[in-house]
Amino acid sequence: MSIAINAISKRFGDFVALDNLQLDIASGELLALLGPSGCGKTTLLRIIAGLETPDQGQILFHGEDATDTHVRERQVGFVFQHYALFRHMTVFENVAFGLRVRPKKTRPSETEIKRKVHELLSLVQLDWLADRYPAQLSGGQRQRIALARALAVEPKVLLLDEPFGALDTKVRKELRRWLRRLHDEMHITSVFVTHDQEEALEVADRVVVMNKGKIEQIGTPEQVYDAPATPFVYQFLGDVNLFHSRVHDGWAEVGAARFAAEAGDSDKAVVYVRPHEIELSRVATDKAIAGVISHSRLLGATVRLEVDVKDAEVVEVELTRERYQEGGWQVGEPVWLNPREARVYPAA
Amino acid sequence: MAGGVNNAPRSIVTTETRPVRILLTGIALAFIGLFLVVPLVSVFVEAFRQGWQLYLAALVEPDAVSAIKLTLITAAIAVPLNLVFGLTAAWAIAKFEFRGKSFLITLIDLPFAVSPVVAGLIYVLLFGAQGWWGPWLADHDIKIIFAVPGIVLATVFVTFPFVARELIPLMEAQGSDEEQAAMVLGASGWQMFWRVTLPNIKWGLLYGVILANARAMGEFGAVSVVSGHVRGQTNTIPLHVEILYNEYNFVAAFACASLLALLALVTLALKSWVEWRTERLAAEDRRHATEE
Repeated sequence: MSIAINAISKRFGDFVALDNLQLDIASGELLALLGPSGCGKTTLLRIIAGLETPDQGQILFHGEDATDTHVRERQVGFVFQHYALFRHMTVFENVAFGLRVRPKKTRPSETEIKRKVHELLSLVQLDWLADRYPAQLSGGQRQRIALARALAVEPKVLLLDEPFGALDTKVRKELRRWLRRLHDEMHITSVFVTHDQEEALEVADRVVVMNKGKIEQIGTPEQVYDAPATPFVYQFLGDVNLFHSRVHDGWAEVGAARFAAEAGDSDKAVVYVRPHEIELSRVATDKAIAGVISHSRLLGATVRLEVDVKDAEVVEVELTRERYQEGGWQVGEPVWLNPREARVYPAA
Repeated sequence: MAGGVNNAPRSIVTTETRPVRILLTGIALAFIGLFLVVPLVSVFVEAFRQGWQLYLAALVEPDAVSAIKLTLITAAIAVPLNLVFGLTAAWAIAKFEFRGKSFLITLIDLPFAVSPVVAGLIYVLLFGAQGWWGPWLADHDIKIIFAVPGIVLATVFVTFPFVARELIPLMEAQGSDEEQAAMVLGASGWQMFWRVTLPNIKWGLLYGVILANARAMGEFGAVSVVSGHVRGQTNTIPLHVEILYNEYNFVAAFACASLLALLALVTLALKSWVEWRTERLAAEDRRHATEE
């Protein structure tokens, strides 16, 4: 089912959580709402679910106005950040809940409920835990049970609030791959909220980057990563070095390096360069930035160098371990930095 | 010792010396014995001083039976009422944000802050013969003060905070995630309450009810003001005990008092059991939480 969010605004006292937001979610897609905490992404998700009412604007489910539809009747599945499993019920009863509370006329028979619950528990690969209580499960298991419970009511939309936020890194990676596969099998329109850019880029069909109650950019993971629309998106989607500069004749100059800029003459500009998009060299070229290596740190397969550059903060450079060893780079050594890619934005 | 384990006496860094420990423990035990155990035992000793027969006789005597009945009736009305009031108040405070919330919390505590005698007087001023609504009530032949309704009202007032006070922190700690999950899954308000909220708070609720019940049955001050002390009609057990005592009928007074003492012991036992259960459940939750 497609969802249209039409000029939605929401305030909490003086705090503007959502500011005139416009968003279309296609049927069957897996969409990520990405942004720092306080950017309004969870509020938007809760408004879609009906757990929060917008101050202004409209929500359309499949073209029909659902703004005033009660959460009970929206037929959405919601997975809470801290799972919100019913602590006094077994896993089986948790999953069966949505079926048991249906009005008598539409409530399935006991055998039908049993079949359905076991089918869902097999889907999340936890059928063997049916008689346990939530307190007896690990975080990853709880999250999958929460998902099975949400799917039991056959929702038309699946909403997930920081679904992997409370899990450790390894489980988180497993679960997000698993969620992607599950979505590919079920094709249910899904929206998930995250502050982890890697998670959004890996799992989602499209990413919505949000900041301060507004949408900064909407696009596929490649689009938002390769062509960030704003400095915020660029900074949020990975580590970044910034150089302050002034524009001359359409070029922003940093040391001896020059980058094409759209800003007008002698305007201030900021040049962004990702740490892994910088080449190191011992030979001065006319486009390079001079500096001295001040620190090196091994991070598994990569090495992160800090280079002191005149008129700039410390510049981070990331190399693969092999390149680092081939180059034989030493702390204290003077080097030249050649940015392969850079983005120039007018300074705010 | 193998492995070089140091089995020498621990240095006294984290604990007091032996004499100090014995002294402190001794003071605490002596205090408890003198102020709690001895009086409690003396109640039963006095009650049975002249034998079983007199003890029983004091309890089955018509005025005593009437006092016991009235006490039970009062508790049977006041406790359920405060269960409902306390539950709704706690629900409103814990699950919703609204203006005047802290004022409401203060109001709930009022019966704890006000002297029970004042609580009783409030009702005399409202419903008594000289009170605001006294004449109207007299015209319609409704008796509240010096009758059972007054006693129930006063008891409801003094026991009001118990259930709410117990539930508010519990419900605030649990948050409303589970309720929201139930709603998203299509549960109606009633279904949400019976299937999710109530099972989560039942032990706290029971605890509050036990305390409220103990106070309802034992309340003296407020009830004394509104009761009028009519023998066999408006006397609860505490009032009956006082009358007997003032008449130098010590065996009967202590026999009835022993009922209240017994209630206290049963309440304590129940309370400890509920506490033990909730703590065990909480410990289980914590243990599983840290296992992750």
